[in-house]
Amino acid sequence: MHRPADLIYRYDASWHGFLCCVFESFRCKELPCSILPLDCPSMSLFPEKEISTDSALAQRVAASFPKKLGKSAHRILSTAFLSGQENKEHTLLSFLILAYQTGPPVFSMLGHPLVSAVHQMQRQVRMEAHQFTGFLRFQDYGEFLGASIQPKHQVLPLLARHFSQRFPGEEFVIYDQTHCTVLFQKQKKLEYAVLEQPPQFPSVSRQEVQWQQLWKQFYNTISIPERENLDLRRNHCPKRFWSNMTEFQ
Amino acid sequence: MDLMQKLTILSDSAKYDVACTSSGSNRRGGADGLGSTHISGICHAFSADGRCISLLKVLLTNICSFDCAYCVNRSSNDVPRAAFTPQELAQLTIEFYRRNYIEGLFLSSAVLVDANHTTELMIKALELLRHTHKFRGYIHAKAIPGADPQLIHRLGLLADRLSVNVELPSGESLARLAPDKSRHSIFTPMRQIATTGAQASQDLTRYRHAPTFAPAGQSTQMIVGASGETDRQILKLTQGLYQNYSLRRVFFSAYVPVSADNRLPALDTKPPLLREHRLYQADWLMRYYQFDAEEILTPETPNFDPALDPKCNWAIQHLEQFPMDVNRVSLAQLLRIPGIGPKSARRIVAARRHGALGLEELRRIGVVLKRAQYFIVCKGFNGPKQLRPSLIAASLVDPAVYSLHTQQLSFFAPEPLHQQIAQGADPVKAITAAREEAISCIAQRI
Repeated sequence: MHRPADLIYRYDASWHGFLCCVFESFRCKELPCSILPLDCPSMSLFPEKEISTDSALAQRVAASFPKKLGKSAHRILSTAFLSGQENKEHTLLSFLILAYQTGPPVFSMLGHPLVSAVHQMQRQVRMEAHQFTGFLRFQDYGEFLGASIQPKHQVLPLLARHFSQRFPGEEFVIYDQTHCTVLFQKQKKLEYAVLEQPPQFPSVSRQEVQWQQLWKQFYNTISIPERENLDLRRNHCPKRFWSNMTEFQ
Repeated sequence: MDLMQKLTILSDSAKYDVACTSSGSNRRGGADGLGSTHISGICHAFSADGRCISLLKVLLTNICSFDCAYCVNRSSNDVPRAAFTPQELAQLTIEFYRRNYIEGLFLSSAVLVDANHTTELMIKALELLRHTHKFRGYIHAKAIPGADPQLIHRLGLLADRLSVNVELPSGESLARLAPDKSRHSIFTPMRQIATTGAQASQDLTRYRHAPTFAPAGQSTQMIVGASGETDRQILKLTQGLYQNYSLRRVFFSAYVPVSADNRLPALDTKPPLLREHRLYQADWLMRYYQFDAEEILTPETPNFDPALDPKCNWAIQHLEQFPMDVNRVSLAQLLRIPGIGPKSARRIVAARRHGALGLEELRRIGVVLKRAQYFIVCKGFNGPKQLRPSLIAASLVDPAVYSLHTQQLSFFAPEPLHQQIAQGADPVKAITAAREEAISCIAQRI
């Protein structure tokens, strides 16, 4: 049994780092009251334990997922980990403690508060990624296509395959303003990077402005005035997406 | 005429086409070329009317030799006319697609010269996209009634989805309002597309490289409110189309008056949006909830209740089947319970294997207990303490109809309410009164 401990784990906010926290928690049979990234300020007075990231250890934990928790476990958990929800690490760890006791059927115990919380987290992440496959807007900068997004969750890893398959011949950059990360495709290779400063996109050509105007004109013309329904539009495409969408500029 | 003017004219005249879905086709991107498709489709934007924009929806031309009364492009209508060249259309599609504005192209057209000539022009534009630009994105093409079967076949080899519009829900209305089209000219290509599509998908199971023919199937649309059919007639026609022509989707389009004609509703008629909404709800019941058209609307009540969604309407007419024990009844029965949808029903079936579910579990699974509570029993719950008809009615009455957003009436509010408020009635009082009246009506039926 894991005993609740008045203790905070600190980790480097990576997936491997989190898996090491899981390892530590099982090694000491303790459930810390919180797991926080290193740079995250904390208000509590509880003692802290810094968990260093060890890839070999992380891989041991990851290898146990398909064996103990079933085929889909790794996909569900790693997707849920991309969530921007507060305390996601604690929820995931509590879930894992339950999961190792129960085995693969745990994922269908949807009435259980922890199971439903994890499912909801990964659904939200996937949902937002799906929204960005549509709402993301590229601008043609001549040498490459560039886009900025402001997601709640870290959706870039889920967008990578989609855009690289869709635009095999293009070089593109997608900048995640919330998490200061970029995904770029250069010479048919995909890469991620964490940025210190926001990237400087060059200014756009006159021709690009014309394509944008054509799009805006299409966007405005295709609506039927007799059916105008702004509430419905906002339900489907919330305002938080608008700042990066060409048709709202 | 420059591209901007053409785009304006040809998207303006395409906007009354409802379908803008990009679903049903799953094609990975290639090593070269451009584009892919996603099985569930992707919405790229939502226009001010709240409809999804997934495809570049334009007409190839709006120069028409037909004179259908309900259509904005009828030959006798005095509107600006234009036509894209295949090159312009292909370039527009590619440039929009690269910027991730769209999922692909929805190409329809007015009848220029005749059906064959128009279809050939469409094929030319699509060949340019598919072959020259190696475009692998979604293409929805409209089959023009009366076109040669061979041309329709070529169109289907290029497109993901084909559609032939039924236009109006009965042959009589068609003869009256669209004299140039006939039932025969609509259902012949529909039959051809269904047969060829089935054959092509069978071939695909045998030969991996067999050519695909409209892999996302076919859809159709009909105009609601331009002619006198009942909801039941429309729904039965819809069911027939799904069964006999294996259509993927049937779309309904609330008639927006576009030209004065004594065969049609007057120009100041509001589009019957609530009716359209109810038809879509019923359509979902048939496609995802295993309902039959006959169950949704009976000969005695051939039209929808404006205050109740069709599922709740069915439930209060079949109270003898409730309450259901969510821990025991089949998936099909779960789907009949108000407040439980296909997703929550499947989750219930998976979750109850691990132990009986109570109210808290159901809430977490996503059941809307406000409505469901009157129709279920579960672990630790034998039904609500109060079973007064007025309470049940209040929980079922459609909130989309009787609600007020920032002092504005709902999109679906009934016409008399609009009139009362136009004459100076207090919106909050008027809507509360209307809602109370609807509730007492429902309560009497319970």
